Amino acid sequence: MTTVMVVDDHPMWREAVERDLVARGFEVVATAGDAGSAVRRAQAVRPDVVVMDLQLGETSGVDATRDVVAALPTTRVLVLSASAEQADVLEAVKAGASGYLVKSASADELADAVTRTAAGDAVFSAGLAGLLLGEYRRLQSGPDDGAPRLTERETEVLKLVSRGLSAKAIAERLVLSHRTVENHVQNTLRKLQLHNRVELTRYAIEHGLTDPDSA
Amino acid sequence: MSVPLRHRDLLAPLWRVVVAFRLVSWVLAVAGWFRERDDYPGMVAPLAVLAAMGIWTGVVTVAHSRAAGRRTRMTLLDLGVTVLLLAATVTTQPEGAFGQGAPIVTSIWVAGPALAMALARGRGGGLAGALVVWAAVTFLRGYVGDREVFNLTLLVLVSVLLGYAATITRAAELALREAAAAQAASAERERLGRAVHDGVLQVLAAVRRRGVDPELTRLAAEQEVALRGLLTTGPEVAVGTADLGTALRLLATPDVEVAGPAEPVELPAQTTAELTAAVREALANTAEHAPGARSWVSLEPADDEVVVVVRDDGPGIPDGRLSAAVDEGHHGVRSSICGRLADLGGTADLHTGPGQGTEWELTIPRGTDR
Repeated sequence: MTTVMVVDDHPMWREAVERDLVARGFEVVATAGDAGSAVRRAQAVRPDVVVMDLQLGETSGVDATRDVVAALPTTRVLVLSASAEQADVLEAVKAGASGYLVKSASADELADAVTRTAAGDAVFSAGLAGLLLGEYRRLQSGPDDGAPRLTERETEVLKLVSRGLSAKAIAERLVLSHRTVENHVQNTLRKLQLHNRVELTRYAIEHGLTDPDSA
Repeated sequence: MSVPLRHRDLLAPLWRVVVAFRLVSWVLAVAGWFRERDDYPGMVAPLAVLAAMGIWTGVVTVAHSRAAGRRTRMTLLDLGVTVLLLAATVTTQPEGAFGQGAPIVTSIWVAGPALAMALARGRGGGLAGALVVWAAVTFLRGYVGDREVFNLTLLVLVSVLLGYAATITRAAELALREAAAAQAASAERERLGRAVHDGVLQVLAAVRRRGVDPELTRLAAEQEVALRGLLTTGPEVAVGTADLGTALRLLATPDVEVAGPAEPVELPAQTTAELTAAVREALANTAEHAPGARSWVSLEPADDEVVVVVRDDGPGIPDGRLSAAVDEGHHGVRSSICGRLADLGGTADLHTGPGQGTEWELTIPRGTDR
């Protein structure tokens, strides 16, 4: 059974999500209302999936995502966010979240997303594709030569995802296999996360936050 | 914080400079007369003019220290009195002496009103004031020599530059005021946002998640998304522009997903409003003709253009249906979407067919000023 931890600063929402997940056969092993306890409890119970809100009162779900991903390589983070927090969503995804769902998604959509996240797939919504396209565009116009680039095909695929087409519809339109489309989509996210990790490490070394020998 | 700002005149330091110039130039005029007193046939006339200049300097000093005395009317009066005093200097020298290069007792003091006019009316005021003063001096002298040309150039340059500085300062003051207002609005929204986030929003979410009654669930979901949208502050953008991403995200509902970059897509506020209205029209069209269909709004900025794609998974519009609607007099789609885009210098392309949904591709060119 897939184990899930629900992190949200509001108890009413937390309970509602927990109830939905339990009703659909998931085991909710822990809940948390702020970033600190989220990271501590995640390390204690090692859930398969953390369903993470980004507004955690005074603390940040982006930081919690980064810490959970760093401490628990096998735990995946699914961001459940209000549509208003686009910049935060992008940061959380760069920090290692496997995908994001808007809070207005139905219980069935949430259950489906948790299942896919547990299986190791990134949950791609149109909104996430739009954010990634924007981020690659920003990186391309920036001064960083080492920044990842999208191939033409990847750009094409992401664009169609951002327009709401399903992987199946994209495969038909571009005459590709369903699997190839999925690979393209997953690659775009992995490239960005890898780049972000490299950047963080480089920043840490440059600022003497870590011993270069052990990095 | 916006209250003291409204009452602060950012030009006040420049007015103090003009007043200082008036005082210093009057002292210089007195000193100049004392040094060259042998060049004047009498004592009474130049001393009378200097005394009048001193009184008027006192008047403008008091006037310029308050807002009412910084208006155009006061600076014009200043100019008039100064020219009159300049004319009064004919009593200080025998006839024709000015044409021989005899000293004029008012000296550089007469430049004062040109500077004041520059502050009150900007570049144009400074230029006009400088020209009037120079014309009066030239008329008195009766000739134009190298020194006069040099003095004119300096006077015009200083007045125009000061006027320019005044204009820029006024614009900065306006921008500062707008920024303060925006900041206050944003703080207020944040305060409301926290209250709504912790209260109403959670209840709506809970009602929706419990799913007691389908109609209630749907309504709760709609209101939840709408409320979240209202709380969106969006990234900060320059005055007069608006972020198209924030505007489009306000259109999100449970049936409408909006995708775009996290970074702001800054466009002139009017362009953003028109483009958003066109998207709203396309979404309304879907809601009317394909109830229950899902829609996606995708914002795709490029260097030279901005593309917004509005797609739905409805049954699509059969061939000829759109032009038939136009023939019947229903101009909704064409005038609202195509017309709006044409007004913005852009294009609206519709891709549709039975079973294919509808896809509007709205493209507008983008200036280089992004």
